[in-house]
Amino acid sequence: MARYYDIDDILADEELVPAMFLEAVNGVGLFESNESNRVEPRSKVELPFWLASELHQRQVVSVSVPPCFNKKTREEIGADGAHVDLRSRCSYFYELGCKIVQLIGDKTIGSLLLVAFQTRYKEVLIKAHTSASALAPKFLSLLTKEETKLYDAAKSSTAAFKTWRMGGPRFQKASVLGRKRKPIDE
Amino acid sequence: MSGQSDSRGFTFSAAELEFLAEDEMIEIVPNLRIKPLSLICGDFGPFQPQIPTQVPIWLAVALKKRGKCTIRPPDWMSVEKLTLVLEAERDKASDFEALPFHYVEISRLLFDHARDDIPEVYMVRSLIEDIKDVRFHKISTGLEKVSSRTYAMKLNLSAMEVNVIRPFVTGSLETFYELGAPEIIQESERQEYRRPQTADRGPRRELRR
Repeated sequence: MARYYDIDDILADEELVPAMFLEAVNGVGLFESNESNRVEPRSKVELPFWLASELHQRQVVSVSVPPCFNKKTREEIGADGAHVDLRSRCSYFYELGCKIVQLIGDKTIGSLLLVAFQTRYKEVLIKAHTSASALAPKFLSLLTKEETKLYDAAKSSTAAFKTWRMGGPRFQKASVLGRKRKPIDE
Repeated sequence: MSGQSDSRGFTFSAAELEFLAEDEMIEIVPNLRIKPLSLICGDFGPFQPQIPTQVPIWLAVALKKRGKCTIRPPDWMSVEKLTLVLEAERDKASDFEALPFHYVEISRLLFDHARDDIPEVYMVRSLIEDIKDVRFHKISTGLEKVSSRTYAMKLNLSAMEVNVIRPFVTGSLETFYELGAPEIIQESERQEYRRPQTADRGPRRELRR
């Protein structure tokens, strides 16, 4: 799934996840106030995913489930998935979810992702193909990165079709054509 | 989930589709005399006044622009045929009538270049608009039923309709596929989500075997 050059994949790796150190580590520099740069065992920190997963695999930290997959969010998605503000919680909700599942093996998150996308997909579909653009801003602010991409794709293809159907000039004149030439010696 | 910007490279623009549609054959009645034209895409003609002949639309349009022929609108582009199609489209909630693959583009080309050759052009035009709207509505209601168990769709869609929904549908199917992958979700839960979908299966058909 991860593509090396995919900018969204890279940005999704930047999302912070809560983790707890299992061992004492020197020279980390996570805490500004701590002059010794030493992290004690059992201290809780937030690490970007790319770091947390590497440390997790080496058994230095233990990664726990990020707050955007907590019980409250689950209940909200179960109640009315289409109107949950997922962007403010985690704009890479699905991408991060998939990575977390593979890291911790908590498959309930996987089914949460699927249910969430299933319900929100319909909303995106309806809004993208029908609504006037005036309605969009409020709804758009709820979407994650992934959903915004889908919305934009649908919106632009529909708009392109409409402009084609309305006519408009079939041949557009290149801007350089028709301009008067200036005399060289001017 | 990723890579939508590159998958967009496979979409055609409307003008490109129109270009492709210009290769469809159409009947014209020339009013000039030319020897057969031997072109790379085939031989057309000979052109004799009042003897109908088959040419690609681009050639028909080119001749028409110079006033060298009249275009005969295709069979399906008559008021009676289109009325039947429209009624059938409205009656069936999930099936699509068989129309030419490029019907949207061909009708637009003919409306633009050969208005005077189409009988009852206003009626034909509004019928085609209606058919198109009904079909688009059906498509978007049908798409609501897509889920992670959808692997293939078999529909009678036209080129333009497919092209409009392509970026959205390919993107969402990709996401559904990734979220439904076995390492993400347990098999028992997949079964759960399958049931409601098979219950009201609309125009989607799952690919068995």
